[in-house]
Amino acid sequence: MTRLEATHVVVGAVDAGTPVIASLGHPAYDLFAVGDRPTNFYTWGSMGLASSIGLGLAMVRPDLHVVVVDGDGSLLMNLGSLATVGWRRPERLIVIVWDNEAYATTGGQDTATKHGADLAAAARAMGVTQAVTVRETHDLGAALNRARREPGPWVIVAKVQESPPTGKPPLDCVFIKQRFMEAIGRPEAATQGESA
Amino acid sequence: MVYVPDNPLSHVLAVLATDYTDVDTTIATREEEAFGIAAGLHLGGARPTVMLQSSGLGNSINALTSLIVPYQLPMLVVISMRGDAGEWNAAQVPMGRAVRSILEALTIPYASPASAGDVEATVASLGRTAFGTRHVGACLLPRRVTMPTETKEPR
Repeated sequence: MTRLEATHVVVGAVDAGTPVIASLGHPAYDLFAVGDRPTNFYTWGSMGLASSIGLGLAMVRPDLHVVVVDGDGSLLMNLGSLATVGWRRPERLIVIVWDNEAYATTGGQDTATKHGADLAAAARAMGVTQAVTVRETHDLGAALNRARREPGPWVIVAKVQESPPTGKPPLDCVFIKQRFMEAIGRPEAATQGESA
Repeated sequence: MVYVPDNPLSHVLAVLATDYTDVDTTIATREEEAFGIAAGLHLGGARPTVMLQSSGLGNSINALTSLIVPYQLPMLVVISMRGDAGEWNAAQVPMGRAVRSILEALTIPYASPASAGDVEATVASLGRTAFGTRHVGACLLPRRVTMPTETKEPR
């Protein structure tokens, strides 16, 4: 499956009210192109931190499923995040990793997953027991259905082929944030002075 | 509150554990991860604080410049200083000297309490500005406040 096909599976499986945190570059571009929603939080930088943002959100909003769309190169940059997720264990956190075995956004250089690194095994070793690797769209859909029914946290590593991104999210970071917070029911209040 | 441990901060953590049980604390493996978690906490409606040693500011810069500052994610940052007056470890000195310049370059306001008695007011005013203006506010805790009795190398 291509990353674009896999993104269609995720958008189709995720309820409209469920927050999705997207890693910068192609994961965010595809998520926007397939299904832009106010509940999507697109990062434009901070490579590696999508799973950490998702962890923080999942800790303070245990009532919601929190989906992270990460990349293999990004997660490799912040592997410690798996240890913290495995420690805090938010039951409704679902980290999806598009593993194309390449730094595709930067020109297709190899990542370590092309040479033996196994991110699902790393997740399990860090205490994230619900960690699977999938290769076909129906397996990805089945894994997402399980993740929504069975307590996590979940790490779903989806082996994908690179596909050209077909859109780009808005560049306005504050717009992305405020739209997102309002959509998940935590609108950011207007700042107020203490005296007129 | 998300943090990477530091010995001077252990006193703060002990007080939080006994007197402020409503404050949730999480240990991150690395400081930029702590800022990522704090970003998610704000998105979920919490008021996050990140605590770190000054050396960890170097591990945090990309998170600050490409996530926290451009998305205007407010948070209080408490930095226990190394490399300032009283330092014995040469490897701590360069970052200790650079902290203020780095924060200024990143447009992050900071303040440093003059004494232990001044810490509460400093943190409160930084927090008011941070959460009131959707920006980061950094409190620098100098060694003369956090380690007042340490004047020589540890045993």
